[in-house]
Amino acid sequence: MIKFVVFMCGAIVMSFEILGSRVLAPNFGSSVFVWGSLISVFLAGLSVGYYLGGRLADINPSSRKLSLILISPGLLLLTFPLYSSLISDWIFMKDLGVRMSPLIASSVLFLIPSVFLGIVSPYSTKLMICSLHTSGKTIGTLYALSTFGSIIGTIITSFYLITLAGVNALIIGQGVLLIFLAIPLYFMNLSCNMAQADR
Amino acid sequence: MTRIFMVLSLCLVLFPLQGFALEPSEKLLFEKNSLYQYISVIEDIAKKERYVRNQKREFTQGGIYVNAPDKLLLEFTQMSFISLAFLDRDPKDVLFIGLGAGAMPKYFTMHYPDVVIDIAEIDPDMLSVAQKYFYFKENERMKVYVDDGRLFAKRTKKKFDWIVLDAYQNDYIPFHLTTLEFLKEVKSRLKDNGVVVANITSPFRNKFFDSMVMTYKKAFPHLYVFKGKKSGNFIFVATLSNNIKNKDVVETRAHKIQSDRKFDIDLEELASRYETSSAYEWDGAKILTDDFAPVNLYQHQKSAAP
Repeated sequence: MIKFVVFMCGAIVMSFEILGSRVLAPNFGSSVFVWGSLISVFLAGLSVGYYLGGRLADINPSSRKLSLILISPGLLLLTFPLYSSLISDWIFMKDLGVRMSPLIASSVLFLIPSVFLGIVSPYSTKLMICSLHTSGKTIGTLYALSTFGSIIGTIITSFYLITLAGVNALIIGQGVLLIFLAIPLYFMNLSCNMAQADR
Repeated sequence: MTRIFMVLSLCLVLFPLQGFALEPSEKLLFEKNSLYQYISVIEDIAKKERYVRNQKREFTQGGIYVNAPDKLLLEFTQMSFISLAFLDRDPKDVLFIGLGAGAMPKYFTMHYPDVVIDIAEIDPDMLSVAQKYFYFKENERMKVYVDDGRLFAKRTKKKFDWIVLDAYQNDYIPFHLTTLEFLKEVKSRLKDNGVVVANITSPFRNKFFDSMVMTYKKAFPHLYVFKGKKSGNFIFVATLSNNIKNKDVVETRAHKIQSDRKFDIDLEELASRYETSSAYEWDGAKILTDDFAPVNLYQHQKSAAP
């Protein structure tokens, strides 16, 4: 289950990033500045998320808490269409220049969801590590799954999903997906107590 | 090992990298990866023509005759001028979205010297190329604004008689310049009875073309289509009023403009290609919006129209 969650979060991050370019284009174009802002904001969000995820994972990790971590970006994406165009119209009106405008818009719209999605990987890794002897394997597997998810998310979004539905519908769909992943996690007890396993 | 190395270096000598892209009679004058695109300027020595291209092959964005830089070389640039026949007056304020080699605004200002022309071009390098290699010059009546066309249209307070949309690069089309929301912004920048002309490149009837027809139909009350003979270009003429609607009137207006303004292109012949959009309309085609615009994918999918 946790492996699947990590895979899906990897897919959703990148899918959301691709759709992000569509969200920004009407107000900020699709220049290199827009892509540069978008990619750097997502990476910034993920790195903050990795850091926080690692720290949180050391405090009594449980799949119930992981579920709550997934719910937050789930709700943000579910309600994304309600605020995204208001915010980007407002930033467009401020006209802060070709570089600042898309950078600020990306930060406001995409930073927080990507922080939460970044938390998932290290947090899940801690849950999955049952023994220090095999921790390398666990870490490697989850890294690989997360990145593989990102590849799949990027490809299916840019190659297929964009022809199937509107950008807003797809983002709402991702929100629903995150919430659906979170619900079973809440009721599962997946944490692996290393002290017991090592004994 | 040394043998492989020798073979490789021999290959490099025999096939210099740029050589792949050029015809024997073509000479590369300039190339650059700008902020937005790859730009190359190529001169065909035999034909005495000069082009600007965004990819190594095939797609020519603009061009001139080296010996007659004031004439219009490419068919779509000539065809776009037919839209002037849909105006019930001489234009005063004009907006071009997309500069390319600058051939169209340059030609236009020669025949309409009193008109005030704004040009939105996103790429500063494209502007320098147009100036350096294609004899394009700004003046107090014709100004280039380095800005995304959509953002310029959104920001400007001005209204225009004639708006020319030609910001499509070869096979890549920025989706935010195709959507209903964009066309509505363009429409809101038109004066009464104003006219919009767009160059839609579609080498075959694909889903993108179908969607463009329906999206224009939704944004504008009237749409006319002119089909290229030598190229895969369609010229869309969208109008707000129905003052000039039938073929005879368009031909008469074209004839008058051609003789009054001394056009060296045969506007009257171009006018005879007049078609209403009804031949191309198909209700099954999806309207492109900011939310749903799979432009690049649609370009590679065959039209589903019956």
